[in-house]
Amino acid sequence: MYHINKIFVLAIIVLLTGCSIGGEKKIKIFSIEKPREKLDYPMPTALQLEELKWIIITSKNAEEVFKKLEEAGIDPVLFGLTDKDYQVLARNFAQIRQKLQETNNLLEEYKKYYENTGNSE
Amino acid sequence: MIFGKIKMIITVLMILGISGAGIYVMKLRADNAILKANQDKLETAITEQNKVLEQQKKDFTAILESNKKLNVLIGTFKKDLEDLDKRFTKKNRDIGKLAINRTEAIERIINKGGKNAARCIELASGAEHTPEELKATLKSEINPECPALANPNYVPYQ
Repeated sequence: MYHINKIFVLAIIVLLTGCSIGGEKKIKIFSIEKPREKLDYPMPTALQLEELKWIIITSKNAEEVFKKLEEAGIDPVLFGLTDKDYQVLARNFAQIRQKLQETNNLLEEYKKYYENTGNSE
Repeated sequence: MIFGKIKMIITVLMILGISGAGIYVMKLRADNAILKANQDKLETAITEQNKVLEQQKKDFTAILESNKKLNVLIGTFKKDLEDLDKRFTKKNRDIGKLAINRTEAIERIINKGGKNAARCIELASGAEHTPEELKATLKSEINPECPALANPNYVPYQ
């Protein structure tokens, strides 16, 4: 009877602890830092502007200019600017060009900072 | 009988003492292991902090350089606009009157200026420089509409 009790107690212990004997394998969690993909757009294509011709007309040469246009088969019509407006146009174009240059430079600097030095998040 | 009891007490005390010492040593070893692990972690943290500081230093330098470059660029913009104004108004120049008196010459100048300005826009949009533009060092060779942009090797006369 005494032996039976002993075996019974031992069996209960084995049953209760059996699964944990030797230990369960622990799950290991790795965190691998994966850098964000680069956008890598090519730089915008450079502009190729078409050439245009300025014609100056004054009260003296107006007739001659229109005659020349007709002879060349061009409609005798001109879209005019005063000398002051021409200066404004030149200034406006210079500002547009500068803004274009500034934007392109900023783009290059951003590209260099975030893509060349490995700072991308 | 009494001696037997005393012997037993001494033996129990000795066993307890040895066990206590053993447990204490084991605790010390466990503490030591924890302290060593902490030390390793702190050293790794310091190395990582140093790396971060180094990277931050590099980033600040890059930002400063970039700012400097952009400020220089904005400075050239201002100068280009002033030069453009000067070309129209230098020595009380009146482009309108000049165009009336020397129509053909001014037409030629304006067309050349327009062509140069268009080239400046192409360059500003990222076009490659031609070998002539890169070689230009004289005032007669440069594109006067945007000298700094079109002719990077041109040094203006003082």
